[in-house]
Amino acid sequence: MSKKIFLDYKRCIGCKACEVACEMTHGEARIRVFEFPDLFTVPFNCRHCEKAPCLNVCPTGALFRDEDGAVAFDPLKCIGCLMCAVACPFGIPKLDEENKIMDKCDLCADRRAEGLLPACVSACPTEALKFGEINEVLWNREGKIVANLKSSAEKGEGEKAYIVL
Amino acid sequence: MAEKLVPVVCPWCSVGCRFYAVSVNGYIRKIEFDYEHPTVNRGKLCPKGVASYQFINSPNRLKKPLKRVGEKGEGKFEEITWEEAYRIIAERIKEIKETYGPEAIAFLASEKITLEENYLVHKLSKAIGTNHLDFPGRYCQYSNSPARTAIFGSAAATNPFEDVAKAELIVIWGHNPAETAPVFFGQYIEKAVLDNGAEMVVIDPRGTRGHKYASLHLKPYPGTDLAIALAMLNVVISEELYDKEFVQERTTGFEELKEAVKDYTPEWAEKISGVPAEDIRKVARLIATKRTALFVNEGMNQHVNGFETALAIADLIAITGNIGKEGVWSGVFPGAQCGFCAAMTGIAPNKLPTGKLVTDEEARAELERLWGFKVPEWVGLDLTGMIREMGNKIRMMYIVGGNIAKSAPNSAWVREQLKKLDFLVVQDIFLTETAKYADIVLPAAAWFEKTGTAISAERRVQRTYMAANPPGEAKPDWLILVELAKELGLGEYFKYEHPDEILREINSVIPVFKGATPEYLAEHPEGCFFPCTEPGEGTKVLFKNGFKTADGKAHLQPVKWREPPEMPDDEYPLWLTNFRFVGQWHTGTMTFESPSLQKRWPEEYVMINPKDAERYGIKSGDLVKVETRRGSVLARAEVTEHVREGVIAMPNHWDINFLTLEVTHEKTKMAELKAVAARVKKVEE
Repeated sequence: MSKKIFLDYKRCIGCKACEVACEMTHGEARIRVFEFPDLFTVPFNCRHCEKAPCLNVCPTGALFRDEDGAVAFDPLKCIGCLMCAVACPFGIPKLDEENKIMDKCDLCADRRAEGLLPACVSACPTEALKFGEINEVLWNREGKIVANLKSSAEKGEGEKAYIVL
Repeated sequence: MAEKLVPVVCPWCSVGCRFYAVSVNGYIRKIEFDYEHPTVNRGKLCPKGVASYQFINSPNRLKKPLKRVGEKGEGKFEEITWEEAYRIIAERIKEIKETYGPEAIAFLASEKITLEENYLVHKLSKAIGTNHLDFPGRYCQYSNSPARTAIFGSAAATNPFEDVAKAELIVIWGHNPAETAPVFFGQYIEKAVLDNGAEMVVIDPRGTRGHKYASLHLKPYPGTDLAIALAMLNVVISEELYDKEFVQERTTGFEELKEAVKDYTPEWAEKISGVPAEDIRKVARLIATKRTALFVNEGMNQHVNGFETALAIADLIAITGNIGKEGVWSGVFPGAQCGFCAAMTGIAPNKLPTGKLVTDEEARAELERLWGFKVPEWVGLDLTGMIREMGNKIRMMYIVGGNIAKSAPNSAWVREQLKKLDFLVVQDIFLTETAKYADIVLPAAAWFEKTGTAISAERRVQRTYMAANPPGEAKPDWLILVELAKELGLGEYFKYEHPDEILREINSVIPVFKGATPEYLAEHPEGCFFPCTEPGEGTKVLFKNGFKTADGKAHLQPVKWREPPEMPDDEYPLWLTNFRFVGQWHTGTMTFESPSLQKRWPEEYVMINPKDAERYGIKSGDLVKVETRRGSVLARAEVTEHVREGVIAMPNHWDINFLTLEVTHEKTKMAELKAVAARVKKVEE
């Protein structure tokens, strides 16, 4: 069982509620909305990889996997070497210049402990960010897409299904 | 250090989102999302909502009453006591009343204060004896509001937002809810389009973030929307696509309308608006054949010809039968969380709080009986009229929470006019550009620092509660008004010790709020829909059995083409329009004091089409001077396809109103805030 944030980026309108909510919770935003000239926007945060390369290269064991499957870290063990950043295929880990340690998304460990959603997911007004057991999120998505394909086929407008994808 | 979760309504736009302010010892430490109640926002918030306590805690908040010691506009003040402030204001009001009469005094209420506080501003102005009463909403919904009132008898939203998800067609016309109301866009429009298969059409000279979901994007020149609306009426009528049964049974004036629009073909409209005739036809046919939710806002409203455009659009809604049933939506969409609080307490130069006219003798007598004092019977001046008469008919102004030095058209003119007043009082939470012209500035409590009632765009009446103590000696607006009334010798009419007492009076004075009692709203955080004449959920869908007109029918209005007051010419060859950022709000009074917003949306820029940019030798990032006949503004250029050729666009949170035009519509008094003739020139650095 692994909980993750799924990025349904086609629902994103680039409002940055996720960034601001993250910043209010952690002091710095660990999620960012990337904007493109064609008005397309993509929110992006740590993917909490199942075979996380960062976990393998962390020399002090500061990075660990928590009970929900998040790649979390212990700030007291981190030495700020950023080997995790070298290994990360997405460039996620950043330097917290004040505390001289690495900083990245931990899926709001403190909020999850209180039974709350990660701050960015709580805020996201369009539900472009979805949090939960990742396969459950994906099965729901697949179900929706198939239902849409069926209804589009019935109406003879096959190309419309593309909108949800 | 116990944490307390205080339920609040969001202090920015009119969607009416709810959440909790997490309060510790009278300070707000953070916000928390409300996923427990059946609220309009379903827990969700936009960046402004999430950051909404930052400005409350700003060190720049006003903390003591101030008396001006420098020149008007200079911003030099000394701190004084409340007693002294009240004494000075009361003396000056007395003096001006004795010299010029009460008709030399004007009041401005606000879409930013509570329902209770708007009611008190209204009551105080009438107790002093003046009907010069308005609010900055004059520049907001005052095209669509009077137009819909003329046709349907009521301007408010016809349906709850939940009906939007059931519509077959979403039309977004001069409105950008993806940026100005993201929670509404995400929870209702996206669901209609992405999940329920609705089609979406956008009418806007710019490309915006919500437009990726639209199948058609019509890009008229600013201020020419009327031509498109007239052509759509022409198509729907000439192709006989209108709802014949509905027109027959529920409307009057169809023949006059048909005659008025018979020459306005899509080809005619194409020449004026630059929108291909075929696209106008397509959209007209869609509106006529699908269950339509139609959203208009400032891109349609803020024009001198906005009233005519709004009439034509309301005619279109009526003849296509897209009203008075479920699964449709149309109506005014105020910019602020309490626009309806001002409008529904009759904040206007010709109205009583009951919604009746000041000239209605019977209605006046009824109000005099309830209030116990005489109510003036003359029609006062609208906001632009007040500005025009400053130093002449208007000698004193009392402004509660409005920043007209920045929000009213032609800022340079407004600031010169403000200097001509004998006496100006501004009651606000920050020392705004307008407050700098005041003789006395009174420090007000901010939204989370008081209890009161808010009304959202879907007519939802909700209560918000005090979560923090005001800084220094700041006081809630209602309390300031009560204490000032006492100093003026009007205390007997203002015996309130809590906003609940004011709301109970509103329950008995304003019939549509009879059921919105403090008790009902406390038990139901999701509120009720006005008209709520009994405690209960209120009226969710309007006009199911008839319109609010005398005969219950929609009064279709014939409309003629009307040119914008200023059009591009050889000297000023471009159209200048303006737009909003999701992370900024109005004149920036509150967002500039919110670090998380300010750092993401830090400055203005001017959008210019690549073809125009090439013509003027401008590249992205160049510093350019944008100039109109009123003044000029310096900004960085952003060369982009997302604004049509011939049009330049700037955000409206900074200095745009140094460029706009103070000409107003003869009936609605709406100014030209969205379409003026401009030129642009690269500045050497």
